[in-house]
Amino acid sequence: MEEEEGEILEDDEFEDEETTRDLVVPGEVLTEDVKNFLPGRGTILNDTRDKIISLHIGLKQINKNYINVIPLKGIYTPQPGDKVIAIVTDKNPVKYRCDINAKDEAQLKPKNTARRIKARLGRGRDYQRDDSNTDRFEIGDVLIVKVLSADRLNKPELTTVGKYLGKKNGGIVISIDPPKIPRVIGRSGSMIKMLKSLTNCNIFVTQNGRIWLKGDDIAHERLLIDAIYKIEREAHTSGLTDRIQAFIENEKIKRGIK
Amino acid sequence: MMDVKRVISTIERKYIINNLKKEERVDGRGLWEYRDFKIDTDMVASAEGSADVSLGETRIITGLKYDVGEPFPDLPNEGVCTIMAELLPLASPLFERGPPDEQSIELARVVDRGIRHADCVQTKKLCIKEKEAVYILFVDMYVINYAGNLIDCGGVSTLASLVSAHIPEGEYTENGIEWTGNYLTGEDIVNELPLVLTYGKIEDIIFSDPNLPEELVCDGKISVSVTEDKITSIQKSGAATFSLDEIRMLGKKSIEIGRELRNKLNFWQYKVKIE
Amino acid sequence: MVLIIKDEYPEKLFREDGKRLDGRDKTELRPLKMEVGVIENADGSAYLEWGNNKIFAAVYGPREVHPHHLAKPDRGILRVFYRMATYSVFDRKRPAPGRREKEISMIISDCIEPVLFLELYPGTAFEVFIEVIDADGGTRCASTTVASLALADAGVPMKSLVTSVAIGKIDGEIVVDLSGIEDKAGEADLPLAITWFNGEISLLQFDGAMDVEEFNKCLTLGKEAAEKIYQIQLDALRKKYISIQESVSGSSNASGGEE
Repeated sequence: MEEEEGEILEDDEFEDEETTRDLVVPGEVLTEDVKNFLPGRGTILNDTRDKIISLHIGLKQINKNYINVIPLKGIYTPQPGDKVIAIVTDKNPVKYRCDINAKDEAQLKPKNTARRIKARLGRGRDYQRDDSNTDRFEIGDVLIVKVLSADRLNKPELTTVGKYLGKKNGGIVISIDPPKIPRVIGRSGSMIKMLKSLTNCNIFVTQNGRIWLKGDDIAHERLLIDAIYKIEREAHTSGLTDRIQAFIENEKIKRGIK
Repeated sequence: MMDVKRVISTIERKYIINNLKKEERVDGRGLWEYRDFKIDTDMVASAEGSADVSLGETRIITGLKYDVGEPFPDLPNEGVCTIMAELLPLASPLFERGPPDEQSIELARVVDRGIRHADCVQTKKLCIKEKEAVYILFVDMYVINYAGNLIDCGGVSTLASLVSAHIPEGEYTENGIEWTGNYLTGEDIVNELPLVLTYGKIEDIIFSDPNLPEELVCDGKISVSVTEDKITSIQKSGAATFSLDEIRMLGKKSIEIGRELRNKLNFWQYKVKIE
Repeated sequence: MVLIIKDEYPEKLFREDGKRLDGRDKTELRPLKMEVGVIENADGSAYLEWGNNKIFAAVYGPREVHPHHLAKPDRGILRVFYRMATYSVFDRKRPAPGRREKEISMIISDCIEPVLFLELYPGTAFEVFIEVIDADGGTRCASTTVASLALADAGVPMKSLVTSVAIGKIDGEIVVDLSGIEDKAGEADLPLAITWFNGEISLLQFDGAMDVEEFNKCLTLGKEAAEKIYQIQLDALRKKYISIQESVSGSSNASGGEE
């Protein structure tokens, strides 16, 4: 059976010891001690360079001498290496255009959908690359892809070549705020493992806020979807994994499912 | 449930259809079940009637204003009620700026016909002086969030704002129209409580109150307006076809659902009493 | 429109007891409340009630620019669309956007742009839609205030919020936060907005007649009033998350700590 596990991403930032539950807002002064602290992610030095200011509504985090703000909401910014769920929105003979829930549309070129097929074709040829056209995928297809390149000025480039990548048949895709994806995975994958085992669903969690899931029946899928939205809503609180586990167990009883 | 800020994917479409075939809907409702309605009326201080109605996550805020003008020559002692709708771009990434498009015109016209043919508004009571001066009521729907089924939400929002009306009563004098000190309220001008009920059809399954993914995936829709025991207007849209039996079934079902919903919503609680 | 009840203004804008017609002191704000995250579909949204003003703001972006020729290759653009519902004013407004709405849209856009980092989003647009459901004086100030909140709700990086308020002169006296009647019947109207990252003014208009001393007083009172409103904006932003924290802390395991 195909393994559906999403790659374990970096440690759940929300559960780090250094992330406080301090909610900060845009413009808020995080510290005036600019000698000992440096502005990290989601922060900036003010014009007179004597204060570090938050750029977002988010959670304050201190990591060594960097002050960071983990935003609670925000658009997905593609980074090379990211695994994301793409939806084919258009295609022409030379490329596919895909929606990856980012500010720009992404591109998937046929050469990046190539599959190596071992086939005896005789005359010494023993594999065939299928990279010449855009016949493999259709508009509306859901693809698990990897981001090959992305920068400020060019459209992101994608590939379906790789482990676990490619088209999905069946299942359903939901979306949550991209910054909250680490919470669905949990520290060392603790949350996603719990979700999978309790709802008996396959889940693939990706960086652009999209989650693919498939279960035994719609009742289990619905429960999992409700649990994921609850994680999204409560992402900034503590004790989340236990609370979600309790939620799922209670709901199973209430809804009469195993 | 599903993110519909862009094109619906093939697997989402299959998911909705396969589950509907088992009479399951993604949000757990039965085929004939409505999402919850939330109604608040008379909140807009500048309007002579208003209603803020949510059907699930679809939200429409409707307001009522009046003008005084000459009646139509063929209806010299009747006032006029005109209904308009705006699909605000703030309500959905699917809505564009600009003048009313097909979808907003459909919303306004379907709701309008449901109201008109039920004789909902007592247009004779909107007459100040025959042939000279009648009320012209403007009922304007503004969509604040779009999550499917604008028509049914708009219908309830329009009806609730009419029921909550408090229009200054005018009398015709030689100095023009003067205020009598009284008001025309919903009790005076609303005669019937028509409800418009929309069904979606996907392949051969029909269901009530399509939410957004269902609406984007469905092959066609049909809206039926009903009073307590009459069907007063119908609109079929989309490329799907309906069999005669299906239409007969929907006619009957609409009267039933209409009664249940009308009972549950209890519109008369929104009428305004002015001292 | 023919109005049966006429839109008439009282002669005096102060009562016998020295208070304004709605019972306020000269520097008192009208009741003001705000909420974020009110429109599901939007990337960020907020709702405000200020006196009888009721205004929604929703942010979409960064997203593609339509029409395409408006896009800038090296930075994003901010587009603000301020609109009023037909029923938001006593004398029904025509549905199509008028010149006043277009002017106000531009002013709000210029006012908010300084706090954004548009250079991070080349070729795209942030679109802010403002819909006034009920108007009661100072709608441009209220709209700016709620629009800034919607942007923060969207998670867009901002140097700070922006707060706006109108100061004016009625019956010879300088007052803060003009109501609808005071706006129409008063002698002067000064809407202003402050960007908090540098404490400077990013929106400023003035209509009326005032001497220099009165004008300076307006600016001072304006900044003080804006500070009060700013706190209400921040509370609204935080409240959405704090209320969730509070509601779950009751149901968390006492042994918490370890996830």
